[in-house]
Amino acid sequence: MWGDQELNYSRFTIEKSIMDYIKLTESLVSKSKQFGASAAEVYLETGRNLSIQVRNGEVETIEEASSAGVGFRVIVEGKMGFSHCNDLSNTALEDTLKRAIEFAKLTTPDDNNLLPDDKGYTQVDGLYDPEIIKIPMDKKIQMAINLEKLAMKDPRITKSSGAGYREGEGEVYISNSNGFSKNYKSTSCSIGVDVVAEKDEQKNTGGESCSRRYFADLLPLEEIASKAAKKAWELLDPVMIPTQRAAVIFDPDVARSLIGGILGALNGERVTQGASFLKDYLDKPFASPLLTIIDDGTRAKGMGSAPFDGEGVPTQKRVLVEKGVVKGFIYNTIMAHRAGTTSTGNASRGGFTSLPGIGTHNLYIEAGANTPAEIIKATDKGLLLKEVTGYGIDPVTGNFSGGATGFWIENGEIKHPVQGVTIAGNALDILNDIDMMGNDLDMNRGMAAPTFRVKTMQIGGQ
Amino acid sequence: MPRRKFLEMSLRGGLVLAASSPLMTQFLSSCSTGTTTAPGLAIDKSILNKVIAKALEKGGEFADVYIENRVSRQIVMEESKFKSGLYGISQGAGVRVISGNKTGYAYTEEITKEKLMRAAEVASFVALNGKMALPVSISDTNRQSFITVQQPLLGVADEKRIDIMKRADQAAMDYDKRIKMAMINYYDEVRGRVIANSEGVCLKDELPMMFFIVQTMSDNGKARHMSRERLSKHMGFEMFDQYTPEMVAQRAAREAIAMLDAQDAPAGMMDVVMQNGWGGVLVHEAVGHPLEADNIAKKIGAFTGKVGQKVASDIFTMVDDGSIPNARGTINFDDEGTQTKRNVLIEKGILKGYMSDILSAKQLGMERTGNGRRESFQYIPIPRMTNTFIANGSSDPADILASTKKGIYVQSLSGGSVNPVTGVFNFTCREAYLIKNGKKTVPIKGATLIGSCLGVISNIDAVGNDLDFGPGICGKGQNAEVDAGMPTVRIRGINVGGSRA
Repeated sequence: MWGDQELNYSRFTIEKSIMDYIKLTESLVSKSKQFGASAAEVYLETGRNLSIQVRNGEVETIEEASSAGVGFRVIVEGKMGFSHCNDLSNTALEDTLKRAIEFAKLTTPDDNNLLPDDKGYTQVDGLYDPEIIKIPMDKKIQMAINLEKLAMKDPRITKSSGAGYREGEGEVYISNSNGFSKNYKSTSCSIGVDVVAEKDEQKNTGGESCSRRYFADLLPLEEIASKAAKKAWELLDPVMIPTQRAAVIFDPDVARSLIGGILGALNGERVTQGASFLKDYLDKPFASPLLTIIDDGTRAKGMGSAPFDGEGVPTQKRVLVEKGVVKGFIYNTIMAHRAGTTSTGNASRGGFTSLPGIGTHNLYIEAGANTPAEIIKATDKGLLLKEVTGYGIDPVTGNFSGGATGFWIENGEIKHPVQGVTIAGNALDILNDIDMMGNDLDMNRGMAAPTFRVKTMQIGGQ
Repeated sequence: MPRRKFLEMSLRGGLVLAASSPLMTQFLSSCSTGTTTAPGLAIDKSILNKVIAKALEKGGEFADVYIENRVSRQIVMEESKFKSGLYGISQGAGVRVISGNKTGYAYTEEITKEKLMRAAEVASFVALNGKMALPVSISDTNRQSFITVQQPLLGVADEKRIDIMKRADQAAMDYDKRIKMAMINYYDEVRGRVIANSEGVCLKDELPMMFFIVQTMSDNGKARHMSRERLSKHMGFEMFDQYTPEMVAQRAAREAIAMLDAQDAPAGMMDVVMQNGWGGVLVHEAVGHPLEADNIAKKIGAFTGKVGQKVASDIFTMVDDGSIPNARGTINFDDEGTQTKRNVLIEKGILKGYMSDILSAKQLGMERTGNGRRESFQYIPIPRMTNTFIANGSSDPADILASTKKGIYVQSLSGGSVNPVTGVFNFTCREAYLIKNGKKTVPIKGATLIGSCLGVISNIDAVGNDLDFGPGICGKGQNAEVDAGMPTVRIRGINVGGSRA
């Protein structure tokens, strides 16, 4: 299709060697001491990415780039400062480093401002796929075009919003003045499609995507396409339901929307500040015994896996909630020290431009015993949720409210699609009322959950 | 202070110079806004011309180069302590080629002739076998400016920033003993832009921006609430003379205390009165996004083919205006170089037009409205809103409330989202009250409001005369700074996601 051999492979490559970058970060750590920092961390990231968008069988956009940047975290007499830049020339790096030191002097000293010293790595397999970059561009474009074609095959699908393929590879280097210097590299790729189903005046959209560490692990295009198409047409001809209390079944795609709020409430910093609805529940039950939540930073090929966290602490697999009881909160080094504990390897980092925050790796609700079909069959009257909009659970108060679409269930059978209703409740009530847990857990998502049922929730309709 | 002076000061301040490649510094002084001429112009323009020519070498109708340099500062204060200070420098350049409906894009963080030529080459592949166009040699282009600066950000001592934050923290903590914590986030940036394209345009400017956020958490032993108040302008540090940090903090603290008494919200269809200001995010989401021309060009947007048709009630007029002086959504010219202006989207219920970037304007055969925006050089420009609002109506806001028997009074929204194809939207209330017999009564817990774009604008039956704005971050795969605004309005029948019957 392109006829130009050069086009068929990625045209940007990472230019320096791993050894160059290790040396660079280590030398910047020593420089920070000369410049007056009592402790320092240098976080360097390099990356390459490609994004292809197609629509109606033709390429719409192709974006490519390679990039690199450095973040400096320094501590000067207990005060913390941070700076970042994406210019790797010596002058720029030194100037930026000095900025962090100057900026630190303005902040409040805190004995908890410490850098990690754990020199370990967690062995995590399958983070880097050397094959992705070798696969010709033509093939990646063709995959997106084929995916769109397959999704449009269904006669109920009338329009395409486009299909896309993305890939990225990156390297992370962390060196700090406690004497460690670590690095790892990773890849990811994803493919997805969005389509529209129309019937008379009705319009509905459906989309599906698949992300993996390894190119060869991407799901068959047919599977992604048919899921996207089904999502678009299955909710046509909805029937409005009255305002009422009824059972609500969370599909895995929407079950995930609840986890975000629970995660916010398990954040050790928010707990310490009293800004979490779970702050008083350590070792106490707050939810149904069917609820077990695990964070696993070590899972092979996991999209959220890494040998160490955003500040270099080895990752772990941890049970956060066991049978409805909070077993532990998540911390980075500074917050752990403040709370009198040790880092749980949960320092998150939004790239080299940000300070480490607190976040999870691969967070999931453990699978239960029931098939989704059994859960539906056991429901006399209820809503099977396919999509939830809104902000999810408020981690401070536990308040939950959202827009909902899905299917109405009566006497164990799906009756009709439902659109434009709301669901709401308090997280503690909702999570206590979970009375069935599905066995359909797909671990390939960064946040994963099986289907589960909440005994009753408020539904807002007509 | 004239903008040119502001630019010189920022360069002389050493910050930009120290961390920029010499070429970046040259580029920043290469294209003028028409009021000044910078030295070294000929050399730099010739490089940009070569990059554009390279980009169109294999074909394509349009190419542009976008060069950016951003210096930012962020200071975070929590629990009355300065937790961290962040200083950032980011620079880079992107080259784009448009050929038919195709776009090729590549960016580099190293602003050297060699890297720019490489990016141009990578971007050019998309145009293989496409139509050819010869680029017009670039020259300085005139654009009107809507941003004035008295106290340039790069010349402000960090101690002054710290002082603003201390004042806010003090005011929040003093407000009420049930305020347990204030979280104060100070951010400012100066974004330098150079835009040159194959139509011969060459533009340069610097956009200063300030974003100040105060969150307060109240706790009375039984209930908690985290409140938020934001202030943002494209202006210098004088913003705080006009809007004091105490005012921002007290507003946040007031909400945190008021909401401690919140009761469960009712569920189902209800009348909603929305207070003036940031509530305009309702139309930003529900109507604004569906009126962005990219989905219209794809023929999938909810308003496709409806220009000239009646889409809302007679009292509804909606505007996107990127030329409001110093507003957060104002950017002088968009990130493709098109002058921003006042665009009436819906006038007295009739759909007048869409918001376009260069590509969608070409696809739809419509004018360029100055809405082509990008988060940074790492993104291609796409149609985005600027300052979007419902225009003033004639009703007295007090009468709107008094004439509403039963429903919900929404004082502020957290934010929301929309599916631009179906027009189905959702918002989450931040502060809301039950209305009984025309009066605000008890506060209710954050409920989600849902509906469809066409439904909501035809159900607006009262528009007040008290237009106001609030600042926000709009996400559409990339972020954009926007204002949303409206006068007090009433919507008959919206579905409220409450937790009780």
